[in-house]
Amino acid sequence: MTENKLTIDGLVSGYGALDILQGVVLALKRGEILALMGRNGMGKTTLLKTLMGLIRTRGGTIALDGRPVAGKPPSWLLANGVGYAPQELPLFQDLSIRDNLRLALRHDRDLPRALEHVSCSFPFLLDRLDQKTGTLSGGEQKMLILSRAMMCEPDLLLIDEISEGVQPSVVQRIAAALRAEQERRGVSILLVEQNLAFALDVADRWAVMKLGRIVDGGACEAASRQTVLNHLSI
Amino acid sequence: MTDQAQSTPAPQQLLTRHGTGLIALGVLGLVLVLLGPLFLDRFTLNVLTRSMIYAMMAITVDLLWGYAGILTFGQSAFFGAGAYATALILTHVGGGAQNFALALVLSLVLPMGLAALVGWLSFYHKSTPLYASVISLVVPIVLTQAIFAGGSFTGSSSGLVGYPTMKLGAANYFRLAGVALILFAALSWVIVRSDAGRLLVAIRDNPLRAAYLGIRTQRVQILLMTALGGVAGIAGFLYANAGRIVAPEIAGFGFGTQMIVWTALGGRGTILGPAMGAIGIDYLGAQLSGAMPYLWQLIIGILFVVMILFMPRGLAGFIPRRRGGAPVPQLGALPDHMQQRDSAPLLSVSGMRKSYGDFVVLDGIDLEVRPGELVSVVGPNGAGKTTFLRCLSDGTETIEGRVLLSGQDIAGRPPEAVVALGVGRKFQVASVFETMTVAECLRLARVTQERPSLWRRAARITLPRAVLDILSLTGLDGKLSEPVSGLSHGMRQSLELAMVVAMQPRLILLDEPTAGLTKAERTLIGEVLIRLTRDLGYAAVLIEHDLDFVRQISKRIVVLHQGRLVMDGPVDAVVNSDLVRSIYSGVAHD
Repeated sequence: MTENKLTIDGLVSGYGALDILQGVVLALKRGEILALMGRNGMGKTTLLKTLMGLIRTRGGTIALDGRPVAGKPPSWLLANGVGYAPQELPLFQDLSIRDNLRLALRHDRDLPRALEHVSCSFPFLLDRLDQKTGTLSGGEQKMLILSRAMMCEPDLLLIDEISEGVQPSVVQRIAAALRAEQERRGVSILLVEQNLAFALDVADRWAVMKLGRIVDGGACEAASRQTVLNHLSI
Repeated sequence: MTDQAQSTPAPQQLLTRHGTGLIALGVLGLVLVLLGPLFLDRFTLNVLTRSMIYAMMAITVDLLWGYAGILTFGQSAFFGAGAYATALILTHVGGGAQNFALALVLSLVLPMGLAALVGWLSFYHKSTPLYASVISLVVPIVLTQAIFAGGSFTGSSSGLVGYPTMKLGAANYFRLAGVALILFAALSWVIVRSDAGRLLVAIRDNPLRAAYLGIRTQRVQILLMTALGGVAGIAGFLYANAGRIVAPEIAGFGFGTQMIVWTALGGRGTILGPAMGAIGIDYLGAQLSGAMPYLWQLIIGILFVVMILFMPRGLAGFIPRRRGGAPVPQLGALPDHMQQRDSAPLLSVSGMRKSYGDFVVLDGIDLEVRPGELVSVVGPNGAGKTTFLRCLSDGTETIEGRVLLSGQDIAGRPPEAVVALGVGRKFQVASVFETMTVAECLRLARVTQERPSLWRRAARITLPRAVLDILSLTGLDGKLSEPVSGLSHGMRQSLELAMVVAMQPRLILLDEPTAGLTKAERTLIGEVLIRLTRDLGYAAVLIEHDLDFVRQISKRIVVLHQGRLVMDGPVDAVVNSDLVRSIYSGVAHD
């Protein structure tokens, strides 16, 4: 077994005639939280979608625990310990909160355990299990998305801008929940974020993406903020 | 509140290189239909005449389904109405020039009236496209039953035959049908490429966004159905004269479905494809159905499945697509537009209460916003902020209390009517037009200010300076000809914000306008908003979680908590209150 949970080398993918990712090289250690940042349209979401098997790889390799997984379908990745909290509309708006959670489980018998997991981070969801998901506010939906991804206890969690539209005190709760998962189970997390303070606070390492490539990275420390800000400035 | 662009009329362009090719094709087609009778036998002439009339029908289905997104099985009803109107007049009143003229007028007017009624039933009240499809199934069935029930008057199941027709001869009917088809195809081709034609695609892509741009979507859809009902009626008139027989089947939904098959096989969303599909299949069918009457239907069925699976673009998929996309339009700046600054409140909300059953979302809300004010609404997730914005911009939401805009009650007014009062709304999840380019979206945002042309596509888009600022600082100005579907999340947010500002509404409602943007982009967008409100007198209500951002741009904050407006005051007083501290204690957005 390699030390890396996820190893990406020379990854190329895109839509139509356009290559969005142009040779991404990135490694994520076991039990590590990596914050991936960058301006809009640089390919962060495309990277997560490619890792999740939602976009076809056009070149390069993706390895999970040293095993090549490029080309595997999303269902295989989910079954093999990869969790994904996407950015846009991943919830079934007409179903109840309970059913949205149930759909992510392989068996209904896992539900009590999953709900217990949800109650640790976002207990308010348990009081509203029968509420229609579409009636949740934007921020509440974000919490449901994260709960659903976390309750399956993945080894690798891909998270796309989870703090967007979430009130600051809840952002802090999300940070605490992610760190607790890391300490308790040693989950590895690839966190795409625009909220720098949150990202640098929760992550062990950061990386910046520009035009489909990783251009810089390092350990999260006091000086990181300014370095990243310089990369993000216009 | 409309601005006049000071710049000289922009150069407009009707033809692209692609367009010149199609003109050549049209001329070639015209030559072929005029000379065709010289070398085609009589059987082929008759079959092709019918095929070309069917091709017109296929184009009407294509405009409705391929462009406007309305899957209709009912075009046959309007075709049948036109054909039967003609045959009934000629059978029961007799031939003669004035009767042919009467038949022509009736075959236009009756189907249009019927189509307007069907359109109104399908679209008058927040109906879904599925609803329109179901109605389109019912209408041909009703019409066919009426024909069956008509006894000797309508000829019942055997139809009408032997009535006097225009004595043109097979060759000239062929020419007439050919010229009518080419003219209609050319007209459709020009219109769908014009700025006004893009409205149809916009309504298909995102009717809600279209309504919030002030477009009266139902009216556009009903008008389109009515106009195409008229075209179908004229095609019916041609058919009844050229074919010298009408039978109930031509009004039935089986025929309506056949048109859908032609359109799909030919290539939905292209004008040429469905016309080719109709002519090809109908002609082949006529040639082959004699030799293998049962097998032929099976072949068509298999062909349909194979095409859907392997060539979703249909026959038109064989035509190479233009490379490099549409030409990039130029951007021009409108002069700054000062909004009226009177001291009366622009927005006045009193006693607003909104509930879903027992669940009360908003209660007892009073708020006044004056021109030039930027009011930020903060509050925890689920406090009712988004619902509040919706109740300000859609008068059909059932609420208690009153919402006045410039003194006018919005109650009962749908979004497009509230927009007409000077409101623009940006949604929390970016709501844009997926299949369009960035430039087309921006152009659409101006439709209520500048009437779009039916014939041309403007090569220049004039926008308020604030919009140009938003475009350049987010990099969207370099992506004008790129499709929206390829934009990142943050870019969509910026594009929607730009569209809303481009409408120059007196009151701008923004639901987390900077979500998904970097800190630097937020700061710059904040400056644009300050300029719009403080300097130009726009009013804005803004939902935001980032207190630093709120502090930077607004002087007044209201706090919404559990459906009630619990605080309203200057920034510092509100931000430093215990309530806000408890909600917002946490990591500030950096």
